[in-house]
Amino acid sequence: MPASEIHYFGIRHHGPGSAARLRSALDHLRPTAVLIEGPADCSDLLALLCHQDMRPPVALMAFASEHPECSVYFPFAEYSPEYQAVHWAHESGVPVSLIDLPVAVQLALSLAEQESDSGETSLDPGSDSEQSAEPGQKTEEKEAEAESNVANEEPASVLAFQHLRTDPIGCLATLAGYEDGESWWNDLIEQNSDSDTALFAQVAEAMAALREGLEDTPVTPTVCRELVLEAQREAYMRREIDRIAKQVDGPVAVICGAWHVPALQQPVTAKSDRDTLKSLPRKLPASKIRQAWIPWATAKLASRSGYGAGVQAPMWYQHLWQNRNQPDWLEHWLTQTARALRDNGHTVSTASVIEAARLCQSLAVVRERPAAGIEEVRDAVIACLCDGDPIRWHQLENTLLLGSDVGSIPAEAPLAPLLEDLQIQQRKCKLKPEALQKELALDLRSDSGLARSTLLHRLNILGVPWGKAAGSGNSRGTFREHWRLQWEPAYAVQLVENLVYGSTIESAAANKAAEATANELQLYKLAEWIQLCLEAQLPAAAEAGLARLSERASHTSDTYALLTGIPALININRYGTARDISLSHIGELIQRLLAQATVALPYACRNLDDEEAQSLHRCLQETHQALPLMPLDSDLLAHWQQALRTVAQEHQSSPLLAGLCARLLYHADHLSSEELQVLFQRTLSPAIATADAARFFDGFFSGATQQLLYDEMLLDAIQSWLGTLSGEDFVQYLPLFRRLFADLDSMERRRLMDTVLQGQQTQSHACELLHENAALWDQQQSLLGKLLQGESPWYK
Amino acid sequence: MSTILRQPAEITYQAELDALKAQDSGNKPENWQLSPQAVVTYILGGKAPDGTAISAKYIGNRRLVETAVATLATDRALLLLGVPGTAKSWLSEHLAAAICGNSTQVIQCTAGTDENQIRYGWNYAQLLANGPSRDALVPTPLYRAMEAGSLCRLEELTRMGSDVQDTLITVLSEKMLPIPELNDAVYAQRGFNVIATANNRDKGVNELSSALKRRFNVVVLPLPDDMKEEIGIVSRRVEEMGSSLSLPVPKNAAEEIEKVVTMFRELRGGETLDGKITLKTPSGNLSTAEAIAVMVGGLSQANWFGGGALKAEDISTNLVGAIVKDPVQDKAVLEEYLETVLRKRRDYASYYHAINEVL
Repeated sequence: MPASEIHYFGIRHHGPGSAARLRSALDHLRPTAVLIEGPADCSDLLALLCHQDMRPPVALMAFASEHPECSVYFPFAEYSPEYQAVHWAHESGVPVSLIDLPVAVQLALSLAEQESDSGETSLDPGSDSEQSAEPGQKTEEKEAEAESNVANEEPASVLAFQHLRTDPIGCLATLAGYEDGESWWNDLIEQNSDSDTALFAQVAEAMAALREGLEDTPVTPTVCRELVLEAQREAYMRREIDRIAKQVDGPVAVICGAWHVPALQQPVTAKSDRDTLKSLPRKLPASKIRQAWIPWATAKLASRSGYGAGVQAPMWYQHLWQNRNQPDWLEHWLTQTARALRDNGHTVSTASVIEAARLCQSLAVVRERPAAGIEEVRDAVIACLCDGDPIRWHQLENTLLLGSDVGSIPAEAPLAPLLEDLQIQQRKCKLKPEALQKELALDLRSDSGLARSTLLHRLNILGVPWGKAAGSGNSRGTFREHWRLQWEPAYAVQLVENLVYGSTIESAAANKAAEATANELQLYKLAEWIQLCLEAQLPAAAEAGLARLSERASHTSDTYALLTGIPALININRYGTARDISLSHIGELIQRLLAQATVALPYACRNLDDEEAQSLHRCLQETHQALPLMPLDSDLLAHWQQALRTVAQEHQSSPLLAGLCARLLYHADHLSSEELQVLFQRTLSPAIATADAARFFDGFFSGATQQLLYDEMLLDAIQSWLGTLSGEDFVQYLPLFRRLFADLDSMERRRLMDTVLQGQQTQSHACELLHENAALWDQQQSLLGKLLQGESPWYK
Repeated sequence: MSTILRQPAEITYQAELDALKAQDSGNKPENWQLSPQAVVTYILGGKAPDGTAISAKYIGNRRLVETAVATLATDRALLLLGVPGTAKSWLSEHLAAAICGNSTQVIQCTAGTDENQIRYGWNYAQLLANGPSRDALVPTPLYRAMEAGSLCRLEELTRMGSDVQDTLITVLSEKMLPIPELNDAVYAQRGFNVIATANNRDKGVNELSSALKRRFNVVVLPLPDDMKEEIGIVSRRVEEMGSSLSLPVPKNAAEEIEKVVTMFRELRGGETLDGKITLKTPSGNLSTAEAIAVMVGGLSQANWFGGGALKAEDISTNLVGAIVKDPVQDKAVLEEYLETVLRKRRDYASYYHAINEVL
């Protein structure tokens, strides 16, 4: 087969411009076979991509069945040239094949890497295949790894290098001062050539020049390893192209990342390719690999989501693709932006949209570009539609550029990774899904207990309440957990819905928790999430949650929110002792929150209505009770007590809280009984409105009535205050008194009564008989006599 | 040598403008002296085609300047917003100088500005002698700019009353200034446009009506985002002002400037420089200009009352004055900053104590 019949199309991954050109080039060429850069052993799955229920973005996913965390993804968007090529081939009835290294090899490679990373000797059966790989390869890998650990890598240059290889066109664009590769493609490639073939030849030329220029770059071990892999992939592709080209008769279209085109076109002997490939580990057997289509989300196509070949703005690309033949694509985009702004409550007139469109054009002129690109559009939107306020744009940026669309896949597609992982975990933990409710007690000190608890917590995060926590039971330690297990079939569906977040239970739970914390505003809810993450052994998500919490904490001026956060965090801090997770940040964060709350507390206790005061009362009490549970800076505690003192003594403070603060200080011996007495006399003196005095009383005693049993001083103060109340007021506050004293049990109540009455008995000794009532005495005596004798009616 | 204290931009930088104009190959909008690209070069600095070095007039984001120039090339007016001390008027002057070679058509808007100062006034002697006619009109800078097809600058647009502001609506949308007394109108020549500046931080100014606002493209000029750049600006200005007030600048001034700028930037930016702790921001704007004022105040205090050595105590009073604009809210913000950040930094201990004392 002459080489001229093979046509190479160097594309930009997820580039709508190259997708459009590719389609027209294919129409023009009408090849008899289409070869695409992608894992060769996934070719069979491509047919599903053209299924009518398949709606991109979707991703082809492959993972080692025994190590689901070891997986590879190949996302497809509607505007991906690869996706369009598959569709074109399907419509034209041309066979499609993938030609890159099979996933079986890629997974074997990453498994091997993982092994050498952890430095573990083979513990599980999954490493069988590893063992049989050529020994030379294995040691080489390990050496490279060791070197990379020793040598200080230059991450920036490595990243730049990786970027260059995944998106060379984007890289050239950055060099030319563009922010976005697509604008550069449009301006330079599209404008300069009408012929599709010439265009792709140009791209290939540019890449060849680029690769040549890179040959003498200094190489770090990581880069070195990647270069080896790249050479292997290219060798494999060359061989596949060769093999398939020999089978078909007619032109063959090869669609691959622009970067690889020069290498694929190079004449390399089959022997040297074989030599290059020799060092690859052996394939994983097909039985140990699972492939599946999974729904993907537009936001995950973005490079900032961590996807290496990602693009800057998926929704922008989608718009470019969908409106590629429409002259008014810019106006469409701007109108869409304006609508989004309006939905957010901003007024944006049509006239402003027109102005924005005009500004786009003139900005393009000032920047000497043939057409407006994403940068021009953004600058124009900020100037015309957002009143120059970039913050307004940033609020919308994510919705507009990243989008929230999730693809869907046909029902008959194999769809398993999460469920499969669940089965593995269930086997590992020896937990069987049973429809009957079952109690389970776990000891977190044992490995198996910890693993089970972790699994159940993670499932809870994923919205699969297989196990429901039932508190730590009778045991006082934090190392015991009680669960109620009950499996329902619907849980499988709910679990699969989480595929968007990740392919293993661990990664999906981590990502879901990270997303939830990122959107959460309430401090105490964030603290709850952090705790959940810690319990589910998701340290990264917990860290993210902590960072978010600390960010939110500084933005909140609401003391209530700060105070609710502290006990939750202290709880986490204590909890940490049962699990091996570093919690150094939490201590720091608690100190900071407390410092903030201390400064704000005296102001927060002013001008509150009853309801607000009540809730602040509750959380202030909780916070104060939680403080002794962790070691705190003594300075800070002194400040805290000072703040409590200020609240207790200031007239502006809400009386309920002043009462509480007085008690907290008194309990902790920071307020002497003399001071307390003065305070009591002052707040319960007649000049103070009875309602306020009652609130102070409430604040002081609610939850602490026992104090009265032991403290005469308090008792006296209260008795004298009660004595001053008018009958009407007394009746009015009766419910309050009842509520307070309801805390005492019957024994305590009796003792209190005794104490109180003892005081009164001494008074009754001083009573004298009233002589004018002496006659009544005799009458009573006689009545009693009748009663005793059982006469009836005795009262006459 | 000229006895004029400060020449307008087009005269001070005439050589640069001439060099750019001499070999300007780009397309020029009608009545523009330079092409848009050359205007951007003039503002941001660079090299003229003949090799003349062009000094940078504005140091900051290139995109903002490009947006501003592109706006003036359309028929939309340009509004430069920003907190005080962000070079709004400076940029507006240089844009006008570069685009139409005349930066002196300025209306300084104040609360006392009335419509006659925006549209046209009357020469009452003429009016009484000959009756209303064009000759009896006294043109304003706006009027002249419309006739000449050049730029008119409006300084501090939001300071004048809303009713007067709205006079501009017809001018900006219909490019026409009606003279109902004469049943006539002034039609703007091509090249006419308006550059307005306004302060987006002040309270109590007359907010633009939305009808007027949407006739402007808005460019917000930010505070410097580079620490070194800001320290440089502050040190230079403090030295200049020190010498003009004949205050000696002590040796340790550079260190103190760095600390003050650090505190300003942290409070303004809402997080510590290492990004570890997020902070609340006070209500004042804490611009570079205020950091300069704090330092100069500190110098003066050190010189007259402090025996010449610049100490944290001298600066702290001014510092608190600059940060605490709202006695309750800002005080809490500052206290929180002291407790959560400064207390832990050993080299800021003197500030921690001095500020605490002032509070």
